[in-house]
Amino acid sequence: MSSLEHGTLERYELLASAVAGRAMRVAAAGPSEPAWTDGVSIFVDPALAPAERLCRLVLQAALLGSGSLDPPAPDRLARSTKVTQRYLALEGHRALAALEPLLPTAARELIDRNTAARSDSAAHSLMIASSREPLGDPPGAFGTIRPRQLRREGERRGAQEAAAPHHPRSEARGLLKELDDDQDDPRPGADLVSSPVGGAGAIGRLLKRLFRDQRTSTGGLPGADSPSHWGRAGARAARFGVSTAALPSALPAGEAVRSRGATYPEWDVQRRRYRADWCTVTEVEPKTADAVALVPSGVHALRRPLARLGTAVQLRDRQLQGTDIDIDAAVEAHVETLAGSPPGEAVYLDLVRCRRDLAVLLLLDVSGSAGEPSPTGGTVHDHQRAAAAALATALYDLGDRVALFTFRSQGRSAVQLTPVKRFDDPLDALVMRRLAGCEPGAYTRLGAAIRHGATVLTRDSGTSRRVLLVLSDGFAYDHGYEGAYGEADARRALSEARRLGTGCVCLSVGAATDAAALRRVFGTAAHAGVARPEQLPVVLAPLLRFALAAAEAQQRQAQHTTRTKERLEMDSRRSA
Amino acid sequence: MTSGVRPYYVPGGNEELVFKAAFRQHLAILLKGPTGCGKTRFIEAMAYDLGRPLVTVACHDDLTTADLVGRFLLRDGETAWVDGPLTRAVRDGAICYLDEIVEARQDTTVVLHPLTDHRRQLPIDRLGRTLDAAPGFCVVVSYNPGYQSVLKDLKDSTRQRMVAIEMDFPPVDIEEKVVAHEAGVDHETAAELVRLGQAIRRLENAGLREVASTRVLIAAGRLVSEGLALRAAARAAVAGPLTDDPIVTAGLFEMIDAYTGDDPAAPA
Repeated sequence: MSSLEHGTLERYELLASAVAGRAMRVAAAGPSEPAWTDGVSIFVDPALAPAERLCRLVLQAALLGSGSLDPPAPDRLARSTKVTQRYLALEGHRALAALEPLLPTAARELIDRNTAARSDSAAHSLMIASSREPLGDPPGAFGTIRPRQLRREGERRGAQEAAAPHHPRSEARGLLKELDDDQDDPRPGADLVSSPVGGAGAIGRLLKRLFRDQRTSTGGLPGADSPSHWGRAGARAARFGVSTAALPSALPAGEAVRSRGATYPEWDVQRRRYRADWCTVTEVEPKTADAVALVPSGVHALRRPLARLGTAVQLRDRQLQGTDIDIDAAVEAHVETLAGSPPGEAVYLDLVRCRRDLAVLLLLDVSGSAGEPSPTGGTVHDHQRAAAAALATALYDLGDRVALFTFRSQGRSAVQLTPVKRFDDPLDALVMRRLAGCEPGAYTRLGAAIRHGATVLTRDSGTSRRVLLVLSDGFAYDHGYEGAYGEADARRALSEARRLGTGCVCLSVGAATDAAALRRVFGTAAHAGVARPEQLPVVLAPLLRFALAAAEAQQRQAQHTTRTKERLEMDSRRSA
Repeated sequence: MTSGVRPYYVPGGNEELVFKAAFRQHLAILLKGPTGCGKTRFIEAMAYDLGRPLVTVACHDDLTTADLVGRFLLRDGETAWVDGPLTRAVRDGAICYLDEIVEARQDTTVVLHPLTDHRRQLPIDRLGRTLDAAPGFCVVVSYNPGYQSVLKDLKDSTRQRMVAIEMDFPPVDIEEKVVAHEAGVDHETAAELVRLGQAIRRLENAGLREVASTRVLIAAGRLVSEGLALRAAARAAVAGPLTDDPIVTAGLFEMIDAYTGDDPAAPA
């Protein structure tokens, strides 16, 4: 399938989604193959004339939209091709008629009202199709129904749902012992004024745009789970699968170990407690690679959303100069003049940009899984590295403090972070050369890397607002760090960082990980998956804003707690 | 004030009854609904029916209490008090409509509290006076729940003083009538536009942040009444404002082509 053809069919996805009432993909069927659907995609022959293609597409979407292909129909139809044909001949008309107000003109002309009137539901149609009542053949534009593919796709989706069960909040509460209440809370930013992850919140809307969720057959409640258009890449990527095979390379030898290493605990989800001093993290000095310096691209597009970030414009009254007259101040000044006292001169309103003090530490995943081919071309590593370069440059240009570390691991005693750029290093060609020299290899002990990143950030940044930005395919895997264990530890590490007032943003660029998997690893931290680095500007600002707001709220809460404690102590001292 | 013809509004449910009942009972009204579904037009029609003047305030971040209540200005070397829109409505017994109330800061909307309970009073600190609301005064606020930023929401104490009317895009037959009337296009064109709008609204969960409102359908209709082909009008007025994303735009164009059917010769 050429990219041109694909682009043409892709254009129909909105239309198909509108008729089906859920997110649909459109893909090419074989030459002169009748149109069909597996419940996720509709397959049509791209060689057909546009009008014919449209009718076939709409018919298949209408079958999905009016519930004709919901269980138990596929099971029943799988038994007999003849019944399937009869069912299509009848149900096709009924489905079109049921959705008639929504259909394009061309598709409405397909409806045979006499046939449509014979059935009033999918179940009814199924009954008639299985009976001996005479029924004509379905017109060619109806394509065909493939009950087995429908069933298989339905089972696949069912399995995915089962694999990522939602943990009720109360349950999580009862199980957590060593951290305070809001750790691992399924609602991000529970301390904000309103939950931003509902369908109505900014993050919810954003996630909606980003992720196509697998659990969309109900098409019902809006929210982070809702299907979307943007995430198609994610769904397509599912075909590539997530490989558990990291490249079998050992950690590159010859790298000078800079420090003896720091130890960090790890969260054991099975036993519900920490393993103290479990992981050893060493900082490995980067090789001064002879690679050609990476040229960051897309920096300009990133700069705009980032520039607006956190520098909220505030209208300040009583300024010495400004864009508008502060009428209240002016009146007062005048009254003072009349009363004989010297008037105040600060009679203007001005829009003041509050300069942020923001530090961002980028953590780039250079484990073997990043060497996997990306569904959007190249390797995941290429995409993530390009994103890291662009982000670091854009933030640096804006005057923020930026550091860039890469991470990989080989078991718990060898978690290595490489400072490509420390906070105090200038961002120059050397940094870009080091970045270009990064090769993916070994494994991903995400939790330890996040803990170390957060520690460096708190220690070296020197700013009050901090963001830890993790660029990873969201695939946590190391020796003794598989599946749910690794995911739980990564989530835990992120909530620890947040508790210290560090905002966490996790980005997956061009990776084959689906939305549910990202959610399992990154939990309540602001996270998103995009197909290509060019899409970053769209998602980044809301994510960062949310992360900062959540961290600030945490900080305020912490300060408040401290103040209350001090006051109580003082009171008790006074009364004593 | 209330002269001329009634603003065109076709009720989709019992909203007119609720509004009028609440008005007679001196209750404040909270209108919820997506942008462009007819909230403002509804209030204009109600103000006309009830024979009350309408004072509209578009709320924004920097709206201060003084902007609503009033302030001292200078006149001939002396200060003179000038009423704000809220005070004017209280004195005249007008309907005061605060559009997009959550855009205003919460400390600003607190000024509504004594006006929206049994007291119906407006205390004006700077004058040291408290105004009793004239008969016929009514506070109406509008609010778009799906649209506001993360940190903004109505205070519960504000919210609970209101009677809520939920509005949504009108049903198909009414929307056709509205589009035909407002845009001055024939029924066939209106029906095609509405069908397109209905289809786009089904995409709300599938990637579009905002869907085609009645307002954009009317805009497309108005372009048609100026002689534009339906397809070109829909592209300009419906697809363009909804998204900047090239992939989504291409998808919307494809939908528009499918729904505006039979004039393939029309300039794209």
